Amino acid sequence: MADREVMFKRAMEIKFTEEFGTNKQSGGTIEGKTAKYLRLGIEQSPRKVEMRDAGAAIAKKRGLVAYNPNMHCAGIPLGQRALTPYMLSGTDIVCEPDDLHYVNNAAMQQMWDDIRRSCVVGLDLAHETLEKRLGKEVTPETINHYLEVVNHAMPGAAVVQEHMVETHPGLVDDCYVKVYSGDDELADEIDSQFVVNINKEFDAEQAAQIKASIGKTTWQAVHIPTIVSRTTDGAQTSRWMAMQVGMSFIAAYNMCAGEAAVADLAFSAKHAGLVSMSEMLPARRARGPNEPGGLSFGHMADIIQTSRTDKKDPAHVSLEVVGAGCMLYDQIWLGSYMSGGVGFTQYATAAYTNNVLDENTYYDVDYINDKYNGAANLGGEKAPATIETVKDIATESTIYGLENYEKYPTVLEDHFGGSQRATMLAAAAGVSTALATGNGNAGLSGWYLSMYVHKEAHGRLGFFGFDLQDQCGATNVFSYQSDEGEPLELRGANYPNYAMNVGHQGGYGGIASGAHSTRGDAFAVNPLIKLCFADSLLPFDFSQPRKEFGRGAIREFVPAGERSLIIPAK
Amino acid sequence: MAYKAQYYPGATSVADNRRKHMSGDLEKLREISDEDLTAVLGHRAPGSDYPSTHPPLAEMGEPACSIREIVEATPGAKAGDRVRYVQFADSMYNAPATPYFRSYHAAINARGVDPGTLSGRQVVEARERDMEEVAKVQLETEMSCPGLSGLRGCTVHGHSLRLQEDGVMFDMLDRRRLENGTIIEDKDQVGVPIDRKVDLGKPMSEDEAAKRTTFYRIDNVSFRSDPEVIEWTQKVWELRTLYGFQPKN
Repeated sequence: MADREVMFKRAMEIKFTEEFGTNKQSGGTIEGKTAKYLRLGIEQSPRKVEMRDAGAAIAKKRGLVAYNPNMHCAGIPLGQRALTPYMLSGTDIVCEPDDLHYVNNAAMQQMWDDIRRSCVVGLDLAHETLEKRLGKEVTPETINHYLEVVNHAMPGAAVVQEHMVETHPGLVDDCYVKVYSGDDELADEIDSQFVVNINKEFDAEQAAQIKASIGKTTWQAVHIPTIVSRTTDGAQTSRWMAMQVGMSFIAAYNMCAGEAAVADLAFSAKHAGLVSMSEMLPARRARGPNEPGGLSFGHMADIIQTSRTDKKDPAHVSLEVVGAGCMLYDQIWLGSYMSGGVGFTQYATAAYTNNVLDENTYYDVDYINDKYNGAANLGGEKAPATIETVKDIATESTIYGLENYEKYPTVLEDHFGGSQRATMLAAAAGVSTALATGNGNAGLSGWYLSMYVHKEAHGRLGFFGFDLQDQCGATNVFSYQSDEGEPLELRGANYPNYAMNVGHQGGYGGIASGAHSTRGDAFAVNPLIKLCFADSLLPFDFSQPRKEFGRGAIREFVPAGERSLIIPAK
Repeated sequence: MAYKAQYYPGATSVADNRRKHMSGDLEKLREISDEDLTAVLGHRAPGSDYPSTHPPLAEMGEPACSIREIVEATPGAKAGDRVRYVQFADSMYNAPATPYFRSYHAAINARGVDPGTLSGRQVVEARERDMEEVAKVQLETEMSCPGLSGLRGCTVHGHSLRLQEDGVMFDMLDRRRLENGTIIEDKDQVGVPIDRKVDLGKPMSEDEAAKRTTFYRIDNVSFRSDPEVIEWTQKVWELRTLYGFQPKN
């Protein structure tokens, strides 16, 4: 293979050889094994100083102590190493570490808001019920009228009763309903403002795949208000949708609000064709649908839209899924929901900052293309999904990544925890194996081999949990017994062995994506999910989540669901 | 023919050192007094009795139990000691030990221990006097270099960080430092100051650390240069994978 300049070079130089804020880091190289530790504490970081001052102001105002960065270790002062910035992978955005905490990052919050507040619901069953049970005529004109009504009602407005109490449009302007159909003729007759245009959003090949998959069915993509979703929970999404859809049908088709036949419509229009983003969880984890624990890796791969905007670069597609997945599964789901912790931020950032994972993955792509005749290229003939292929690619990928940590001490210092390194190495191995074979479970197998190689080479892996999950995981990769194994696309955050272990699930999402991005597939597992987010009206741009996180970090991202309209101006 | 444990594959110095750690066949390099060890561990005052959580087993009138007859209790268990810990951090810049090999050493060579293996630290929990025995061996032998290894109960980051300019592993709680050519420690594992400066001995030279390490590095003994270890690793993975693939019915 030709010599290549490592993709993390510039990020490491910015982090470790140039001053950021007032951290007095300057000089040296990214290959040096020693460092001058200045132990500057929080004074080296403008953000930490801002936070300290904010904490002091809060304490003064309320008469109760608050944030105080000198409270570590029962008051023992920390000899703080340099606080260094992060570059969002695939972008030139450089930000403070604290600004990648989801609480400090409006884009991260909105990504999850946009998923949690979305559902898909079919129109065809409702139309059949209207026509056959209620004797109503359904035409493109009535559909257009219904969509106008539902876009009035869905944010929380009245349609059948008088002008009663309603939500203020200025608070719920992110709420809307669009439709998509595999029937081009019908789609053409619906007002374009309501349509997710398959032929416009996807190239011809992907559009054909999608239309072949959904046939001539028609579906609504519903996004309830962010503010409602935040006040309630994910399980509310379909309920809120259902109420407004029901009322809109009654209003649009001049139905009796009380006759028994409406019950048939209610079931067919509101529930029978419902697709949630994620499944509900068992009682011991006690979350309803549309909470992150039930989100399958296949759905995660489909929610991210890079597969249609940068189809020619399958590795990029998967890297964006890894980034989005690590943020949602690690920072929000495991980092807060499951653990009660404050976010596991730096576990997750390792996979989407500083181009370290990108470097390993693109190296692998070159390796695969050289050795397997372009198998990692879009549309290239795939390598056989065999033990030998997995063994070769995952071993090479992992050793290459390990050697980068050994050759570039700054990269090792950036990924200061073994769990970060394990995530990065295994994600690269898994994604690459999936790109080479077009097989998600082969990719997953590569993930586990990577963990074994990493552990033996460095005599360490991640935290305790890695010993459980990553050393017994190989046995469930190809098992199809129901409680042991499944195609990776159908596994998710609550898969038995994955339910407690940070640093994995985003990677699994990326692997599921890679198995399809390498073929140029329009979707990984569910075209309805892919279409639901193929829409530029959403506040969060799902085609470039890593850039969006960066925009959130530098405070350029504008979220939805804000309450400034109804509170005193500051 | 008597069975001789082989412990670990590989044909390099790193593999040899791994076999040494696992077997317990270790070279003693320094002496640390019992009182100094007690001080840096920080669990009790040096010279004080071991606090106990139950009376000595001999006084407890244990029930008849065949397992109890087969397995003799460790000294710490017999005495009723508390379970306490020793935790090490080892630099990735050729510290002699790595977390897994500290764990293997403890699990293979000591009884009544509960090793925990992470990336930046490795903890052994055991009855206090049993734990001290393991800690003493690990500190006094070639398993540790005082400059590249550290006793760290908390705030353990350092294993992956670049070394300080004096070649010592960074410690944000400044528990130990290089003074007059040796490493002294004046805080316990969790950073609480102690009443003495414990001399942990001279740090290894770069060459000696490279010779004694159990860590594969591309600038010393690369992982690629030990194909037997790679093949063995792949074999473990392959067998586990195939074992799981058992379609039935």
